[in-house]
Amino acid sequence: MRCDIVIHDNDLMVEVKDLNVSFGKKHIVHDVSFDVKKGEIIGMFGISGAGKTTIIRVLTCQIEKKNWEGRVYITGLNPENKKEHSKILSNIGYVPQLEELNLYYELSPFANVDIFASTYGKEKREARRIAERFFSILDIPEDTWNKRVKQMSGGEKKRLSMAIGLIHNPGVLFLDEPTTGVDASKRYQILSYLKKLNQKLQTTMFIITHDLEAALICDKAAILRKGRMLDFDSPKTLIRSLPSEGNIARITIENLNEKIIESIKKFQPIKKLLRVGNDVIEIMMNDFDSNLPKLIQSIIDKQANITGMSRDLASFRRYFQIRVQEEEEKELDLYSNENIAIGVSE
Amino acid sequence: MLWTDKFNLFIALVVPPLIVALLGILGNLSSDVEVSPIKCVLVSYDSDTFINENNFTESKLDDFQLPYINAVNDSDLLNLIRFYNASKEIYAMEMAREQLIQKQIEIIITIPVDFSELIDWGYPGLIDCIVDSSDPTQIQTSLNAVFDSIKIFINDNNLTPEFELTGFEEFSIPGNYNAKFNNSIVMALSFMVIGVGMVLTILVIVQEKPIARLLLTPVKRSEILSAKYITYTLVLVIQNISLVATALSFNLYIAGSVFDLFLALFILGFSGLSLGIFISSNSKTKTEANQLFFAVFLVLVLLSGTFIPISAMPIYLQAIAYILPLSHGDPLIRGIITKGKSIFGFDFYVLLIVSIILIILSFILFKRRKYEV
Repeated sequence: MRCDIVIHDNDLMVEVKDLNVSFGKKHIVHDVSFDVKKGEIIGMFGISGAGKTTIIRVLTCQIEKKNWEGRVYITGLNPENKKEHSKILSNIGYVPQLEELNLYYELSPFANVDIFASTYGKEKREARRIAERFFSILDIPEDTWNKRVKQMSGGEKKRLSMAIGLIHNPGVLFLDEPTTGVDASKRYQILSYLKKLNQKLQTTMFIITHDLEAALICDKAAILRKGRMLDFDSPKTLIRSLPSEGNIARITIENLNEKIIESIKKFQPIKKLLRVGNDVIEIMMNDFDSNLPKLIQSIIDKQANITGMSRDLASFRRYFQIRVQEEEEKELDLYSNENIAIGVSE
Repeated sequence: MLWTDKFNLFIALVVPPLIVALLGILGNLSSDVEVSPIKCVLVSYDSDTFINENNFTESKLDDFQLPYINAVNDSDLLNLIRFYNASKEIYAMEMAREQLIQKQIEIIITIPVDFSELIDWGYPGLIDCIVDSSDPTQIQTSLNAVFDSIKIFINDNNLTPEFELTGFEEFSIPGNYNAKFNNSIVMALSFMVIGVGMVLTILVIVQEKPIARLLLTPVKRSEILSAKYITYTLVLVIQNISLVATALSFNLYIAGSVFDLFLALFILGFSGLSLGIFISSNSKTKTEANQLFFAVFLVLVLLSGTFIPISAMPIYLQAIAYILPLSHGDPLIRGIITKGKSIFGFDFYVLLIVSIILIILSFILFKRRKYEV
């Protein structure tokens, strides 16, 4: 008889070890493992079909145990056990992508608070007191508190939805695409509100998103691709893991073309060259500081006209792009090797 | 694109022809309705004993009781359910009246005392009848059917055509009440209460998007659905109180108890409400729920027995009609308002059972319903 002894770190809010999710013959999530500490903001990044939502659905007790394997604990409770579901759901909050899934538009913000607070057994008066605090933190105008939600602006609805997700003071808050459908200026505003809430309430947050800018507020970023977790670390560490520790040379060249790019690539220390615009390339290389002047000289020697140059640290967006590209290349290599092997055996 | 919404496509393509077919079947049946025999019982007070002023002697005259029973049996317009000999069964009339209250029959034909003797002596024959006048449109049809039996009786026995038929209306609206209002309200109430109950609830599940989010709270699905039932039941109670109060303020005659009428409206409305929630739990989109409501309500109305008597329908349609709530609405309300019947009868229990079955099915469907946030 096997006996698993599980020792929980009190600071750990989420533990996931070797998580695999399948629906019939379709294997959606492969061997995903990660731990999340109290108060951390985790960004789950990946293109559609990466498995982000599936992992969150396991953590929020939405997928039956028969469809997943592995060791999963959330706020110290195991979603494998159906009896624990009620406790887990009491300890977590959820802010869906669409506000219409989280709000009754015909009712006032306070009436919405009353409904959702009652589902957690919270008293109306206490819930309203908490709501008032959140409304103030999130700058929801006081004159809208008793009006119908449908009269509120898109941004106000989004912030109200966040407040509703936090109304029962959950240990972990899941936010599904919090910045999707929001214009660029408001995106940063929403991210800063989330950071503000995180700092004030010490709530662990999971942000499931396509928006790579969200990494700005994340303590850790999980990059997923085709159900596998490629990375799970702080965005800063991930960027530093790039060649030249994430340092990039951004060079603007007049009439840039493939021929010029190919000739620049011949400069030996270059580890990565990316074309990021019509006339702009970004370069990462070994011994960045010592090799940068040599690189410039080599480009000038090739009669290319440099019109602009800057030195910068790679963004998370760039890291994500490089990492996913690498995986795609690996996959292509594997595929072509397999094809060669088949050809040989035939 | 069409295949993305198969169920709506099914409803759009299959349900309308089915309804037309149903109308066709019912239309064919309507011609038979005119000859559908009227259920009756015969209560005879006739005896073979002639009462003489001077002495009591057994009559040696002819007995016309049996020939009249044969005439009733021979009439295509009457269906003799039972014959009571009142001289032997002292509660014959009470039993017959109970059958009339329960709508098992539509008319009681009475053969009076000395019926045979009077005919033997050449006096005009006498027949009395008690007609169920809770449905005024049926009174003349019932009387015509009795006339038919008298005609057959006269012909078969070569009698003089002098006959007197006296009709007594049972369950008619007293003169100081508005009979027109009473009759129209009785018909409208059941349609209105079931229809409103359904309309109120057909979108409660399918339209409410935050339900998906509520399922990520400790609240159970059964609690969400129970809350819906409780809320809409309260609305129903208020609706029924206002309905009864308005009807009474317009001087509605109620032979039975007002509380029974309220309960009848409640159980009818509740069955409509349960049917609405069942449709909503079973629908994926608002369009689907609306289309299902239209189809179901049309079938409810067509098979309610209002347009074609259920007894005149083929047996398979009768089986469907008897499990549909609206078929029990009219008899239940008419029974309480015009006959003073108690609510606790066959119709009430059918409505109760149908509602319970619909609630159970709705809970099962709602539990299996897929939600994703």
